[in-house]
Amino acid sequence: MEYNILDSIDLNDPAIYKSFTERYFSKRYLLNVNGIKNNDIMLMFHSNRITLICLAPSHFFFKKNDNYTLNFNIGKVDRLSNQVKGKGKKGGQALFPDSAICKVEWGDKTAFTIPCGMRGTLVEINEKLVKYPQLLKESPDSDGFIAIMLSSIAITDATKKELITHEEYLKIVNV
Amino acid sequence: MNPKAVYKYCKHLGCCEACCLRYMGIKNPNAYENVANFVLKYQDEVDKPMRVIEQSQNIASKITDTKENLFDVSIREDLNNSNGNSLDINGADRKISNGDSDTNPPPSKRRKLDICVSCLGVLQEDNWMEGYVLVKDILFKKRYECATFACALSAPITTLLRERAITLRLADEFPGYDDKILTALKEAWKWSFGVKLATEINKTLDSGAISPLLITLNYDYADDLQELEILKQVSPQLFEERSKQKRRFVTEFTRRSVEQALQNASLQSLRAAGGGLACAGARAMCVGAVCTHAPNYLAGRYIKLSRHLPQSPWILEGKRVLPSSVQEIIYKPLADLYNLAAEQADGRLKLIAAGREDVDVRCLGEGRPFAIEITDPTRQLTPEELASACEHISKSGEVIVKQIVPITREDLIQLKKGEETKSKTYEAICIKLSHSKYDDVSPDSPIKVTPEDLARINSFRNTARNTKDTENNIENSKSICNISGGIKDTTDNLDNCESMHQDDKDTSGVPLRSPDNFGTVKEPNSQDVKDATDILDNSTPLKVKLADNPDNPNDDKNNEIDLSVNVLEIKNRETDAESDIVDTLKSDQNVLDSPDSSRDFLDTSVEVRESENRNNCEDIRIMIQQKTPIRVLHRRPLLTRTRHILELKAVEVPDHPQLFRMFVRTSAGTYVKEWAHGELGRSRPSLGDVLGAKVDMLALDVTAVHLQWPPQ
Repeated sequence: MEYNILDSIDLNDPAIYKSFTERYFSKRYLLNVNGIKNNDIMLMFHSNRITLICLAPSHFFFKKNDNYTLNFNIGKVDRLSNQVKGKGKKGGQALFPDSAICKVEWGDKTAFTIPCGMRGTLVEINEKLVKYPQLLKESPDSDGFIAIMLSSIAITDATKKELITHEEYLKIVNV
Repeated sequence: MNPKAVYKYCKHLGCCEACCLRYMGIKNPNAYENVANFVLKYQDEVDKPMRVIEQSQNIASKITDTKENLFDVSIREDLNNSNGNSLDINGADRKISNGDSDTNPPPSKRRKLDICVSCLGVLQEDNWMEGYVLVKDILFKKRYECATFACALSAPITTLLRERAITLRLADEFPGYDDKILTALKEAWKWSFGVKLATEINKTLDSGAISPLLITLNYDYADDLQELEILKQVSPQLFEERSKQKRRFVTEFTRRSVEQALQNASLQSLRAAGGGLACAGARAMCVGAVCTHAPNYLAGRYIKLSRHLPQSPWILEGKRVLPSSVQEIIYKPLADLYNLAAEQADGRLKLIAAGREDVDVRCLGEGRPFAIEITDPTRQLTPEELASACEHISKSGEVIVKQIVPITREDLIQLKKGEETKSKTYEAICIKLSHSKYDDVSPDSPIKVTPEDLARINSFRNTARNTKDTENNIENSKSICNISGGIKDTTDNLDNCESMHQDDKDTSGVPLRSPDNFGTVKEPNSQDVKDATDILDNSTPLKVKLADNPDNPNDDKNNEIDLSVNVLEIKNRETDAESDIVDTLKSDQNVLDSPDSSRDFLDTSVEVRESENRNNCEDIRIMIQQKTPIRVLHRRPLLTRTRHILELKAVEVPDHPQLFRMFVRTSAGTYVKEWAHGELGRSRPSLGDVLGAKVDMLALDVTAVHLQWPPQ
């Protein structure tokens, strides 16, 4: 018996070509956060409620052509020193919808912060952003994600319901 | 010490015949089987005539009278003592535990001599019927085919207290009496009740170490706990400590705590507390029987042919996501053979597998080793039945099991060990999603997997080659791939490592040929050449730079892995490798010309030989760091794990220029999918990092789980 791997999949089925984020995540958007125009955040919810915090493509960040650095020191807390223990991710920094996850500092000395958009626990900061801040601009919805957070099932579900879906977002942004 | 005197004394205390024998230290099973006959020789002439018709109530009361006459002083003392002292303890307890003696009834009522003061009736044949009935009832329902059984007794705990109360008296009465000679209640019970039970249920009584069928009988004695209360006086410290640690000691009186309390008890302390030998108000009743058969274990390997089949039922928020699972398919025929309903099967059968593959991953080759634990089986399945079970499983079309054999519990260790230590071989279809940073083409041109890409994958390593091992491993290593049109279902074969590496070279593109023995993929790129030179000139432990390209931040430019390697060794290998290149250069072109030629050197079938030290001397080609994948991060701790790619080979897919077929053998616990696409940089260096391009995986098959199973 032979079970050729090529015969086991339908190469014409577009579903198999979905990207990693398309396969596992559903995207939700927060627009004009804190009343700041185009302060747009994208939360990517994995089916297991792990959530990635990203910048939405419509964020004003992408319109500005200037050098920038990322600062993970928010007030008294250093996001990079975040550590979680065990299955329950104990010890992770507590996040609230308005908590800044990261600060983007432009070459012209202006700056803005990125809010995390949901209550939960910080699991992991994308450390690659420290070495390669350009990832934030180049692939904001994949390797340039900002952080991973985990929230309760209740909060995750409620937030998912409340926020703008990907389809709605596309309509709004195109207008 | 005169046995007859001990017998008589025990009798006087109110022991049954069997218990008398126990205190005399009789260890002969036959004695207990025929107690009435055996005790004749210890009886006085006066007692004998009455023994014959002992069962009759009339005579029993006559014996009572006789006994009353023979009561010795110490027993009377006991009784008085227990009265006197219990007045000092709190009233409620006393009323219950020593109710009879409190009211000072006439002697005949006060001592119910038909209830043994030691075993509380457990050894007395008149009381056995209820036990037989309970056991027969269960056996009738469960229908075990097992021809043997072992029996276990759960007696009232106060029998321990009573035993101690009696042995202390015996030691007092007969200097030199050793309480170690006491025959345990459960032994005497097995030799008497157990033997009779055997004929009742038509099975052979055997020891618990031999027979898998265990019949446990539970006896309840109404005054059990009240009688034990006196131990709080005998050993107050013990129970105070236990009550302080309520969480640790949930119940006050356990077999263990009572044993501890009695350990240092003296006759004086027992008497002071009430004597511990109150006469039984009612006999211990057999209130329950439990029959359990030790689990049976079956072993096999399953082949999973579906990309829509989870290993265990996939239920999300109470709803099934997919209609079936490997587990259910394997359970079905076994449940039928055991006449188990579907719901029962879930509780009684347990699938233990050497790891698991994702829903959308097939498991081919010889399949994944698994075992089934059958809890409380009624019988052992025959080889014919097991063969028919395999047939049924394979009929599903989604799972194939070729053979199921019975194994022992000990064999499971191999299975679990295998999950943690044995390597796995995979085949995958991957897709190149962007131009490689090495591609020298227009950004708009179609993305193609180039021979250079394949060569890069096939020669990449970020570790020093373990040359010694290559030789040691020749006989042990497995063929990573078998690409002549598909995986044969016999693919479990080993190629030897030497040929594996030979393979790497054979398919390497000529211009990219690199001495594939060290950290950087040495490209004809001045930066890399410089790195390599640095390495060679450096005589301290080395820091190896992974693929280095300033243009692509996805690369772990600064991800340095410390490798303490002796530079001299590297230099030597460098030389060897270079001569290898020359040898292989000639054949390279041929290989690339004909895609099928790979068959020639990959299809070498060598018998599988697992070696324990295989993992110790494995040639690790790529060391990778994997963070806990996001897809399991919600239920596993966040950790960065080091995993190994042991063998890796990529070939083109005819007619699909953007795809390549990959064969990879990894150490246990490697997340292959995440390694391929890099999972947002959380797994590195990824396959994409090696290629300098975005890569994803379209399909994955496990082609071999390298574990000898079922055990031979």
